[in-house]
Amino acid sequence: MTDAPITDAWIRRLNLLQLVVAGIIVLTPTLWMVLSSLKPSFEVTAYPPTLIFAPTLENYAQLTKTTPFLSYAINSLIVTIGSTALGLLFGIPAAFAVSWTRISWPAILTLAARMAPGTLFLLPWYVMFRQVGMIGSYTALILSHAVITLPIVIWVLLPSFDGIPRSVFEAAQVDGCSVTRILWRIALPLVASGVAVASILAFVFSWNYFLFALVLSNGDSKTLIAAAFNFIGEGSTQWGALMAAATLIALPPLILAALVQRWLVSGLTLGAVKG
Amino acid sequence: MSKAAATFAEDRQRLELAALSAPAVIFTVAMIAFPVVYTVWLGLHSFSSTGKQSFVGLANYSRLLADAEFWHGLWVTIALYVLSLVLQLVLGVWLALVLFHAKRLPGIVRSLFISPFMMPPVVAGMMWLVILDPSLGAANYILQSLGLPPSEWLASPVWVIPTVALIDTWQWTPYVALIVLGGLQSLPPSVYEAAQIDGASAFKTFQRITLPLLLPTIVTATILRSVDLLRFFDIIYITTQGGPGNASNTLNIYGFRVGFEFFNIGYASALMLTLTAIVFGAVLAFNRLRGAVAW
Repeated sequence: MTDAPITDAWIRRLNLLQLVVAGIIVLTPTLWMVLSSLKPSFEVTAYPPTLIFAPTLENYAQLTKTTPFLSYAINSLIVTIGSTALGLLFGIPAAFAVSWTRISWPAILTLAARMAPGTLFLLPWYVMFRQVGMIGSYTALILSHAVITLPIVIWVLLPSFDGIPRSVFEAAQVDGCSVTRILWRIALPLVASGVAVASILAFVFSWNYFLFALVLSNGDSKTLIAAAFNFIGEGSTQWGALMAAATLIALPPLILAALVQRWLVSGLTLGAVKG
Repeated sequence: MSKAAATFAEDRQRLELAALSAPAVIFTVAMIAFPVVYTVWLGLHSFSSTGKQSFVGLANYSRLLADAEFWHGLWVTIALYVLSLVLQLVLGVWLALVLFHAKRLPGIVRSLFISPFMMPPVVAGMMWLVILDPSLGAANYILQSLGLPPSEWLASPVWVIPTVALIDTWQWTPYVALIVLGGLQSLPPSVYEAAQIDGASAFKTFQRITLPLLLPTIVTATILRSVDLLRFFDIIYITTQGGPGNASNTLNIYGFRVGFEFFNIGYASALMLTLTAIVFGAVLAFNRLRGAVAW
């Protein structure tokens, strides 16, 4: 890329300054959350707020002692991994077929499902799952979260499959390979990095999703996100534990996102921007 | 290969391809299409407390037109939508330009800027709840040390909408910026060179050249944000649950509460279908606009 017209050194410095300001605004609230989670309970509500304190893990200890935090976390993992796997299982062949045939309505159908407000399906799901006694089951949660993961997998993988030269497939067909065999043996290994990005994005958005678990989970199957609501009711005395919970809930998606940050944007815009 | 064998192979291939997309299609129809049809049916019925249903035609929809809470919810939804969208687009384009001129973005900087929108909105709500606490929060402390009056933030019926918009803007502006950055990076440099030769000022170059060329990307960002903003839920449910009073009761929150707190399933269905129509209407409108500004 050649230089834009603005090249003066001081303008560059001004730009750097703006970058630093933006970075501080982005970082500070998250940093405050982590700091608050490490404060002794009498200091977390101190006013004026303190910046220098003796860090402690007592909030984290309290969280695991007074709430079933670990079992919520396990619930979240089961639902998230289950729905990501289901999204991949259904999404990989669908993306391949759409890319091959250029018949795009299956992909658009899943995307339209993603655009509708979740509350729209939640009412009938609630009625239906209750009738078959599945409220609070992992199955109901995994199925509902797969509605989130499926379009992510399909739309992230579509450009990857499109990027494979057609001649690769034609050569395989001449050798007598069936379409299904071409997908699993030839195409899939070629889009491995796309599958990795799709899996991580599906994981993150399934992990983060609030609404479905709010209604479809119960005491035993509550996910972390749905349980977050319970941590809040405690009032300001519990701020330390609240921020410890928030920090722990945010950690898995943040770590995963940092791993694939370079490829994330084109995946997140569902191929609308080729990053 | 004979002609018959060739068509057989083609049929077989077509069948295989259909079988490959079948699981995704069947799953989506079962989980979405069927429930949506069911919602339409529910919206035409009324349910008594004993679970007896009766067909009421469009009564749920005429009730909606006469429901002050619906109109209030629509107003809250639109106010929150417009405010958040404008803030995120303006700040997002600014941030994209800053990132663009920074040239090299180390991975750690990129990770920093994606961190807000990769964390659950619920977590964003939790942390801002603490920061914006009217009596003990850090935000009011900063205001006071700058000699400014403190705010009630989420506890104020007047300020709750701007405050929620601010939280969402903190979370999603970097997302808009990264989309716009992608657009900036795909612009042909020759355009700038021509402008430079013509002696155009930096501002003029932006206004006359960069911005018009960026419009399709900005409309894309608008569509992606509109879908989320019009069905605003998570942050409000975690922080205010539609309050104080009903000051932040968006249509999505209102519909949810009618359905799952008051168990008025018929009316909730009518509300949710109306909101869905609004979301898809906006997406289709912006999609046409994107076609109009494409180059």
